Amino acid sequence: MAKVTLSTDWLDVCSGCHMSLLDMDELLVEILEHVQLLSSPITDLKHPPEEGADVGILTGAVSNDHQEAVARRMRERCNILISMGDCAVFGGICTMRNFFDTEETLRYAYVETDSTAPDQEVPRSPEIAKLYPAVKSVRDIVKVDYHLPGCPPPAHVIAYVLTELVAGREPKLTEDLLTYD
Amino acid sequence: MPNVRVTINGVEAAVPANITVLEAAKFAGIEIPTLCDHPAIEPIGACRICLVEIEKQRTLQPACTFPVFEGMVAHTRSEKVVEARRFVLDLLFSERNHFCMFCQMSESCTLQDLAYEYELDHWKFNRPMPKFSVDASREYFVMDHNRCILCRRCIRVCDELVGNGTLGLKNRGADSMVTADMDVPFGESSCISCGTCLQVCPTGSLADRASAYMGATAQIDRVKTRCMACPVGCGTELIVRENRVIRVEGDWDAEPNKGLLCEIGRFVPLHEKRNRVRQPMVRTDGDWTEVEMEEALGLMNEKMREAGDDVATIVSGFVTVEEGKALAQSPGAKYLMHPIASEQSTAKQADLDEADLFVVVNTDMTEDYQVAGFAIKRGVRQRGARLLLINDAADGEAADGEAADGEAADGLGDWAMRRFGPEDANQAVSIARGAQMPVIVAGPDGAKLATELADQIPDAKVLIYTPGGNSRGLYEVGFQEAFEGQEAAVYHVVAGEISRISPELLEQLRQGGTVIVTTSYREPWDEVADLIVPMPTTFEKSGTTVNADGMVGQVVVGVITRAVPTNEIFNSLAELAQ
Repeated sequence: MAKVTLSTDWLDVCSGCHMSLLDMDELLVEILEHVQLLSSPITDLKHPPEEGADVGILTGAVSNDHQEAVARRMRERCNILISMGDCAVFGGICTMRNFFDTEETLRYAYVETDSTAPDQEVPRSPEIAKLYPAVKSVRDIVKVDYHLPGCPPPAHVIAYVLTELVAGREPKLTEDLLTYD
Repeated sequence: MPNVRVTINGVEAAVPANITVLEAAKFAGIEIPTLCDHPAIEPIGACRICLVEIEKQRTLQPACTFPVFEGMVAHTRSEKVVEARRFVLDLLFSERNHFCMFCQMSESCTLQDLAYEYELDHWKFNRPMPKFSVDASREYFVMDHNRCILCRRCIRVCDELVGNGTLGLKNRGADSMVTADMDVPFGESSCISCGTCLQVCPTGSLADRASAYMGATAQIDRVKTRCMACPVGCGTELIVRENRVIRVEGDWDAEPNKGLLCEIGRFVPLHEKRNRVRQPMVRTDGDWTEVEMEEALGLMNEKMREAGDDVATIVSGFVTVEEGKALAQSPGAKYLMHPIASEQSTAKQADLDEADLFVVVNTDMTEDYQVAGFAIKRGVRQRGARLLLINDAADGEAADGEAADGEAADGLGDWAMRRFGPEDANQAVSIARGAQMPVIVAGPDGAKLATELADQIPDAKVLIYTPGGNSRGLYEVGFQEAFEGQEAAVYHVVAGEISRISPELLEQLRQGGTVIVTTSYREPWDEVADLIVPMPTTFEKSGTTVNADGMVGQVVVGVITRAVPTNEIFNSLAELAQ
């Protein structure tokens, strides 16, 4: 049987969700017997291949135009898209800045914090992705097939979802598998 | 009340005709989820999480407000119901900030529990994410409007149970906000920091400063015990984690408070700033030296032996009956630290919830016996009972019904119909004569007048408080005289954690004699004592206490300490007397 192909990427994140993925420990070896990891932020190949993947996993919220492009590309190239972690599913802690004006946030982050060296400026290079006024969940940008909340989702929950998909079943998060923090 | 027959989820039950579907379901052993409903207050059907399907009803109905009827057939877990509850939860989550990951209530939150139960793995609706304020102007707890689901539990307990009516709602729809008085910060409002709202909040909107992030439901133990701060004798629940009390709540099942507590019972013990006495201390030439318990006991025995019978043992209301019994065996005279009201009560505290007229004599029920004061306030607000205040502070002007400023000795002024000076007490009598069930309340200062008034008012009952949590129990074991400066060679003050100490007592102890204080806290006793011996607090000991009603309450250990049990100390003193 051909392996199920998987691509993952991260958006506006702390990377904790991918750490949780690695936290699967020896289960990871077992899962990789059935799953081929095509790309991820923690392996050499970063982008999902043009020919596509069976399953895509996105972690993190959508905060800028670059992240939106990453999310859209993942959606286009994957049959099943999973949003993983509170930021991807709900917007999460990144949405704290939705309570403030974008310029105010930038000024605070780059100029005003106690740890900022004096005379700093907000970087304005056109190469830098443009911040959106409000942080969004992945679901606000593209269609999502499965939601996997948690901050981060526990490793065994990620393992459960992947195992179910490999077996051709619908993962359903109930009781202990469902957590928001 | 006749019964009606109902069928809920196929379970047939005969239930009283005057109850709601929610209560009937409880009869049948079926749980229906609730958010805005709380057993201690009237249902309002605001949150819609308890929606159920009732046959022959056009739409789903809220179980908390819908009355049962003969032949009613209800379904509480049907597909339609579950779908509706998910919809309600989706709406609730869409309004404000309900991210669990940085909330102190996560894992102890009713809203979160429901979202898990109904398997919400994402939120359906776009969220406007309005920015609401966080009000941290109160000393003990914080209100985060961003986490509020507008269930109004806080508003209702403040009004229905505490009778304070501080909280209300402003604006409309999604902009509605819980507000205090005429929209002032909570810390500047008429809030009395009883914390009842904190205890009933089903989300993380109200956060206790002392226990936030300190332990979720799975990590804590609940220990039912008694408050010993005043003779009301409230039942409390200690929230304990790792042998440490992180929060105190009112015990909903306990008489006489039925879940309520005051600031002194709920918050003060957890915000204690005084230094804890953990080791006996001896004063030599003005300096304090820590000594071993054995040495302290030896010193104590020596001083007592020298004094013979010229010893005065003075106990506070924080001393349990068992401690009191042991102390009663020690040599010398026995005194209660608090003034004793010699008149007897003819009323129970429960009568406050029946009375249609209150007369409060020379006692500020917003300072002392606060939870009994709540009963008076809710009597006035909920049942339309009348309140008459008689006190020395009332002058002619105030007698016209105008409230004096907060300095007067009657914080209940805003609830009172009239205030009188003692010389006008006969006017109060003429008003009270028309009442069906008048109750006269007083502490030691007003006890005599209260009893005299009761003789002139038909059917009047009096409720007399002697200050001190266990004063009545201590009286029964031999502490039948109040300490009023009687001289002795050795004073043994058994203080517990008492913090409100009369300046006269401290002054008297300064006058001379050897002063031994058994106390939980160093201050203010280190000003007057020669020897300080540690004593467990109410959280740390077991025993019994007797409240103003004569009801015996169990004090249960919440925290285990290494401090020497006081009984051991006291028993060694008793041996001296033999």
